[in-house]
Amino acid sequence: MTNNRLRNLPGYVYLALVLIFLYLPIALLFVLSFNDSAVMAFPLRGFTWHWYQELLGAGELWQATRNSFIVAFVSAFFATLLGAMAAFAIVRYRFRWRDSLLALSSIPLVMPSIVLGAGLLILFRSLMGFELSLGLITASHILISIPACMLIVMARLAGFSKNLEEAAMDLGATPWQTLLRVTLPISLPALLAAFLVAFTTSFDEYAMTTLITGTETTLPVYLYSMLRFPRKLPIVLALGSIIIVGTSVIIILAEWLRSADTTANKNSAVEVDR
Amino acid sequence: MSDYVNQVTHPVTNSRTTNKESAIPRSLLGSLIGPTWIWLVLFMLLPMLLMFLMTFRTEAFNWREWEFTFENYRKFIETPSYHRLLLRSVWMAFVVAALSVVAAYPVAYVVAFQAGRWRNLMIMLLIVPAMSSFLLRVLAWRIILGSSGLLSTVLLGLGIIDEAAPILLYTPTAVIITLVYVWLPFAALPIAVALNQIEPNLLEAASDLGAKPYATFLRITLPLSMPGVIAAFLFVFIPTLGEYVTPALVGGPEGVMIGNIIWDQFSRALNWPMGALLSMAMLLIVLIPAGFISLYSKISRERAGNYD
Amino acid sequence: MNIFYRKLFLLIPFTLVALFLTACNAASAPDAESNEPLLILEWTGYEATEYPEYFLPFTEKYGETINDVLEYSFFGDDSEALARMQAGVEADLVHPCRSWWGLYVDQGLVQPIDTSRLTNWDGVPDELKELGQFNGEQYFIPWDWGYESILVRNDLVQDVPDSWSDLWDPQYEGRVSMIDASDVAFIIGSLSLGFDPWNTTPEQNEAVKQQLIALRPNLLNYWVDYTETYDLPASGDAWVVAGAWQDAYGYLTDEGYDVSYIDPVEGRIGWMCGYAIGSKAKNIDRTYEFLNAALDPQSQANMANDFWYGVSNFDAIPMIDEKVIELLNVSDFDSFFNETVFYQPLTEEQRQQFSAIWNEVKASQ
Repeated sequence: MTNNRLRNLPGYVYLALVLIFLYLPIALLFVLSFNDSAVMAFPLRGFTWHWYQELLGAGELWQATRNSFIVAFVSAFFATLLGAMAAFAIVRYRFRWRDSLLALSSIPLVMPSIVLGAGLLILFRSLMGFELSLGLITASHILISIPACMLIVMARLAGFSKNLEEAAMDLGATPWQTLLRVTLPISLPALLAAFLVAFTTSFDEYAMTTLITGTETTLPVYLYSMLRFPRKLPIVLALGSIIIVGTSVIIILAEWLRSADTTANKNSAVEVDR
Repeated sequence: MSDYVNQVTHPVTNSRTTNKESAIPRSLLGSLIGPTWIWLVLFMLLPMLLMFLMTFRTEAFNWREWEFTFENYRKFIETPSYHRLLLRSVWMAFVVAALSVVAAYPVAYVVAFQAGRWRNLMIMLLIVPAMSSFLLRVLAWRIILGSSGLLSTVLLGLGIIDEAAPILLYTPTAVIITLVYVWLPFAALPIAVALNQIEPNLLEAASDLGAKPYATFLRITLPLSMPGVIAAFLFVFIPTLGEYVTPALVGGPEGVMIGNIIWDQFSRALNWPMGALLSMAMLLIVLIPAGFISLYSKISRERAGNYD
Repeated sequence: MNIFYRKLFLLIPFTLVALFLTACNAASAPDAESNEPLLILEWTGYEATEYPEYFLPFTEKYGETINDVLEYSFFGDDSEALARMQAGVEADLVHPCRSWWGLYVDQGLVQPIDTSRLTNWDGVPDELKELGQFNGEQYFIPWDWGYESILVRNDLVQDVPDSWSDLWDPQYEGRVSMIDASDVAFIIGSLSLGFDPWNTTPEQNEAVKQQLIALRPNLLNYWVDYTETYDLPASGDAWVVAGAWQDAYGYLTDEGYDVSYIDPVEGRIGWMCGYAIGSKAKNIDRTYEFLNAALDPQSQANMANDFWYGVSNFDAIPMIDEKVIELLNVSDFDSFFNETVFYQPLTEEQRQQFSAIWNEVKASQ
């Protein structure tokens, strides 16, 4: 055991360094959100709550944040669902147009999203006459997240043998039961990863969204537009800090609850493949 | 289940060594790929078709009038700076993707093999920074690399430089650092997922048979995680190719990428036809790695078959 | 039975799409009522729902119900606003800047304004009114304006520049931050060569392009967002910022930085943005009610004091802080109009030309 820990040490050190690398800029933003100046530069000018107070009154900013959370959640859910189903089909079946599906589904990654945004604007507004709405934004965010979700789930399913599914079927499970009780648990880590990637993709999407935004907008669009007023930028830093701290707390809390749960029930879904 | 399902499943289960099909009946196939097909056609293929047609136009909005022209193509061919920027972008995307994968692999390794019950927490910790706006994180790097930033201050304190100066900022290197920072967690995820599915028995068997850890890694772990590595590489390479925010904010005059020119065409210049053409050119370049994906999926499919 | 399920599963995706399209279209239920809210295509930061003080009588009148009478669609760049209008978004009011005004008029996206219905129109000087006139009609109401000039860290440079052409002075090597916008860059290049930016010959265009390429050794970067005009001189990364606005100068001075804002011999560039009524506006009465509030002296003064931008209704000037008046340089009307190079509306050809030149400059080695 001691030997094992010692062997793991370099890995932990590296992970710690990476986490520092990842969180350093975030920490900087956090510090600057309390800095008594709109200029984002050192030296710092002193401590203030001012930006957080202004944030409280920034109604449109909160509205945009709320919209972003809804759009990100809904689009991540459907992108994961669609991507996972397609990934399963691609890994497990041979069918007509399979390779085309694979190739086409990678295009949203390739295309600069502003091009898709332009195409969507012309298609849905100019030619089809739809009002621009959060619905269209959500639908297009699903599209750009599908490739990532597919890739992640495919990577999981590709190496995993289908024996378990066959066994389940041989034992009399229906196809849907097999999918839900065998395939789904196996892919769960991948689904979680896919959901997270899709969520953050949507939460940060600007180039496409800005072209198809209607009367309700998302956070990145509002934020980029706000850059015209540098003196308000620290308000955005304050909001960013709150979002980061909020998500971290929720995640740690959820993890704490879950780990309490899994010690009682060791065969958690994630471990099924072991 | 009924006869219908038996008909479909039994040939498969009875001949599993020769037939690579799944045990799940084909009747589900339509439901599995249908939604994705619809999404791709409606929200991607149709808009892309419009944008492709647009490359033969001079104007973006008035589709009642139609004037077919090769003017944009002529301009594209005659402008060598576009070609150079395309090449530079491919190179930058390659470097960023390679560095991200190399930096992310150990992270994924720790997450998959050593994190134990903390694994999900680790994954979350990697993703949380991505929850703050991309733009804000790039701005933060501008501060870190700038004259009064951390890097400059540290180097000044160590006596390595004698005048506060923007270190690396406004160079292609700054773009690479910042993008590796942005993509590292996303590169780690697919690798971790791939590593996670390697049977621990396989590694134990190798070490029982006397294989050195590095040999086990090179001959078992690394090859088995290749699907994840390739996914991670593409995952970084492809979006980086069209990246424009990072080069605009930290790249300086030498860091301009094709994404910036495309962005300019769509925004300031409002020359959508030219922007569309440049994007299509980029798409062509990426078709090469896209072919790679399908090759990889063929290989992994065969490997999945070999497990039986 | 299985066939039935199979078909049912196939229906799921179609239902999903149908649901989405319904969601997309939910807001578009046709409603010819004139009580529909005004749709304003606007930059963020000006919304009356958030900042009632910039549109005073209007926001006071509607008070809590303001969200029922106004709806905003935000854009981050002029080109987005024009693209959305061209794609068929039927905004009642739109707030673009002057380079783009001519394009709205040419494409019939906006309608002439009946100035007799503008109660605060007399406070707007004729010189500013003229900026919004096309084909003898008033299409745009100038509302906010400001300068684009050179911001310098005095303590870091040897000589403070006094002309646009000083940007090319080798003493600023690697320390000039240049605005990343094709039109401004072209104007700066032309002014430095002594050309009239809006009436150039092809030879002059080529000269401007070479001039901009020749700036490369002096360049630190091309700046794209306004925070850079605050942060780069503050951190000392940039010594000279070309195209900075007066508010950056005001703020950095307040913060104690040793900066100056240049009055180049060729003149400062003046930007100007304003409102126009969309050609398919549904509620004309309310658009005029809104415009009257926008031009109200108190509203204009509030806007100026917050943003340190210029106003078009000069009746507001007595209510504006001394400091802002100084920043705006409007105490002497004549010199103000003579020395400021206001943006001219661009034609489609000019815009394409400028951006082609700028692309080549940026892509050059």
